[in-house]
Amino acid sequence: MQLARNDRSLLATWWFTVDRGLLSAILLLAGIGLLLSLAASPAIAVKKGLPAFYFVERQVVFVSLAMAVMLVVSTFGARAIRRLALALFLVMLAAMAAVLVVGDEINGAKRWVKVAGFSMQPSEFAKPAFVILAAFGLGEAQGRRDMPGLGMAVLAYLALVMLLVQQPDVGQTLLVTLVWGAMLIMAGQPLSLAAIVAAAGAMGMVTAYFTLPYVRLRFDRFWNPTPGDNSQVDRAIQSFVEGGFFGRGPGEGTIKTQLADAHTDFIFAVVAEEYGVLACLCLVALFGFILLRVFARSLDESDPFRRLAVTGLALVFGIQAFINMAVNVGLVPPKGITLPLVSAGGSSTVAVGIALGMILALTRRRTDVARFALPPFRPNRDVYIPTQTGV
Amino acid sequence: MSSPSPPARQPLPEQRTLAILLLIVAGFAILGVQLVWQATKGQGRARLSISEPIARSFARPDIVDRSGRLIATDLEAPSLFADPALILDVDEAAEKLAAILPDIDQVQLRSTLADRSRRFVWLRRGLSPRIAQRIHDLGLPGLAFRREQRRSYPLGTLAGHIIGSVTIDNRGIAGIEKFIDETVGVEAILGAKPAAKVPVQLSLDIGVQFALEDELVRATRHYAAAGAAGIILDATTGEVFAAASVPELDPARPGQTLEAARLDKVTASTFELGSIFKLITIADALDAGAATADTVIDVRTPLRIGRHLIRDLHPAGRPLSVREVFTQSSNVGAARLALAAGSDRQRAFLDRLGLLRGGRTEAGIIAQPNVPLRWGEVETATVAYGHGLAVSPLRFAAATASLLNGGLQIEPTFVRAGNPARPPGPHSAMRVVTAETSAVLTTLMRRNVTLPTGTGRRADVAGYEIGGKTGTAEIAIDGKYRGDQVLASFVATFPASQPKYVVLVMLDRPQPAPDTAGQITAGHNAAPTVARIIARAGPLLP
Repeated sequence: MQLARNDRSLLATWWFTVDRGLLSAILLLAGIGLLLSLAASPAIAVKKGLPAFYFVERQVVFVSLAMAVMLVVSTFGARAIRRLALALFLVMLAAMAAVLVVGDEINGAKRWVKVAGFSMQPSEFAKPAFVILAAFGLGEAQGRRDMPGLGMAVLAYLALVMLLVQQPDVGQTLLVTLVWGAMLIMAGQPLSLAAIVAAAGAMGMVTAYFTLPYVRLRFDRFWNPTPGDNSQVDRAIQSFVEGGFFGRGPGEGTIKTQLADAHTDFIFAVVAEEYGVLACLCLVALFGFILLRVFARSLDESDPFRRLAVTGLALVFGIQAFINMAVNVGLVPPKGITLPLVSAGGSSTVAVGIALGMILALTRRRTDVARFALPPFRPNRDVYIPTQTGV
Repeated sequence: MSSPSPPARQPLPEQRTLAILLLIVAGFAILGVQLVWQATKGQGRARLSISEPIARSFARPDIVDRSGRLIATDLEAPSLFADPALILDVDEAAEKLAAILPDIDQVQLRSTLADRSRRFVWLRRGLSPRIAQRIHDLGLPGLAFRREQRRSYPLGTLAGHIIGSVTIDNRGIAGIEKFIDETVGVEAILGAKPAAKVPVQLSLDIGVQFALEDELVRATRHYAAAGAAGIILDATTGEVFAAASVPELDPARPGQTLEAARLDKVTASTFELGSIFKLITIADALDAGAATADTVIDVRTPLRIGRHLIRDLHPAGRPLSVREVFTQSSNVGAARLALAAGSDRQRAFLDRLGLLRGGRTEAGIIAQPNVPLRWGEVETATVAYGHGLAVSPLRFAAATASLLNGGLQIEPTFVRAGNPARPPGPHSAMRVVTAETSAVLTTLMRRNVTLPTGTGRRADVAGYEIGGKTGTAEIAIDGKYRGDQVLASFVATFPASQPKYVVLVMLDRPQPAPDTAGQITAGHNAAPTVARIIARAGPLLP
């Protein structure tokens, strides 16, 4: 198919403005994710008495859905994104409140709600929506005194974190807090504010350690490992050693039959054992590329909202991937956080699709009103000459 | 520019974004370093480990009798395995395990657990839950359990020869169990048990089967026989209600199949069955129109063929009608009838009855008959009274059923019609003899039991209209027939007015008993045994 440069249809406009490098990287990652789910999930499905390709088939559906959602969202404008985020945020907050009442308790936490026969995890969808709202609030706080932007962003953060703590979901709380702190710093807010958030976060972790038994257990075991009891993580780390650089070969792994979460939280370890550490490094590099690409693109962006939104979304994506892989190699205690687009799971996969769609939408090339006011050849782009209109 | 354009905003400090980026890039870098470090750790040592197969246990459908009563089922039991790499102290683990499993080979256990290159090794399959709990309570790292399906036979040895057995992985290796693997199939599983499958319904009735086995065991003891075998089958459909071979075989102990005495006598062995074969010789003569029941045959002198002399046990001293040849079991008479027919027609007839081929049933392979190398006059004469041709009792029972049920050929089967394991095949009942011949044969059988001088008189049970024929075959030992080593058999059918059941009982080398007047002939042991079996099993038969 060939699109003419003067074609002004939605498709053509999208094609010429979207970041095609980023899009290719995402599609590559989704494809690799499906390939890797073939390695890990059949063993788990058979163990659970399900047909061997149960999880694989589901993941194909979820990833296709996520990619479709991503492509649709990537055609949106900034305003539509904000509206989508607001609606999504409110609905998901309500759902998270409902989860506390009617949710199914799995592994000691209430995170799931049944919608039309499917189990859904509202907190996964709330994350990208929160980042957009926070970016909007912080962006507005940047220039306008008549908008309580900072207050709005703080309020959104508190509402989300309150509900996450109630579930309780320590991993997601930590993730949201890290991203929120980074956004505060990037938005140019006083560093003292970020310090307060950091202090509150640290206090929260200490509280969690003393009030939530499973958090305490995981931490204690992480710092004082004794053979035999920390088996999921021990097993996972072992697989990196046994896989070596080149792996045992597809299908030759043993870890997938021993880890209960081999297809979700510990899929990275399965990859290490069967395909080797070199394949793992490629995966790390692919995540890193997506992250760097978004950041690089954001530096060219003058609109504070867009810049904060895409960097924030990229941080959710990147920190999540980092925590998951760090758990697998034993750098941090287990968190229950999935590897985006690779771990099996409907809610997280589709939510990642929405987030990536938002990134693609907000990084599309556009005519920047603010840029027109700049001198054609600015000697140094760090020197910002405000436009004379408006204020 | 004109208003309303967006209000001017402060630029975002780029250094801060770059700082955050630097942090997360550093995180990814640490991740990469950790990955490489872990991979190098494993490079130094040779990695020889046996990867664990995903599925090794198999779920089987239940086996039930014709009324749905359970014969074999799967039970879930824990199996113990070890990951030697995680064992902390091999001596401690081996000692504690041996305390709970006293029969385990300690030396082998130690060497297995000490081999740290292995990551998975079975220690004991199919533990009882209580033992498994005790091992679990030892709290030894590196030991774990996997729930597996184990085959269980709640009825013990009942119908053991037919059921067959399974391997330690729950795959069928013999009998009906092997048949299940080959037809409806078994499902490879790991962990949770799949939904129950449609059970395989046999044609057996466990009540009839028990009566048959019990009486055969009693007869074996009473007549001090080396063994016994018996079959009860449906004369019109070929469905086997019961089939037993003594000594019995325990399906839970597959090793027993190595004992020669326990070889299935019903399907897997062939015998020279003796005089019960006269039924076939006379059927051929009648059906070909070569003789009627009243045709008289000269049996006054022994028959000499070449250097062989064929004689009767109790010579009648006068010519006998075909009817009398049957009831008085005249070898000379049967031989003369067969010689008149010729060896070609005899063979064709035997072939039509299925006695010259092996084949297979759901319970396994039917032994190939032992056919004489050269089928001349002598062989034609001896086969006429059941010597020189060894067939499996199952084939003979099926042939008898075909002759007596009105003349339609049947194939013996152990699976009930309509079960998924026995798809309805092309059913074209071939006629082996005319209905008239069949009726005459049945009358002859009945007369042999009702006549005061009939050899089968001790098989009569009031109310069942039993008809039958005795056979006492001398057993060839090292190529010589001996008068004191015989195979006593009795083939019966009832009710004679319209044969529905065929019973065949065989006693291997019976000895004289107090109630046999010093005799070892079938009329004194096999015939009364059949009477006892029918008296017990008759009321249970469908």
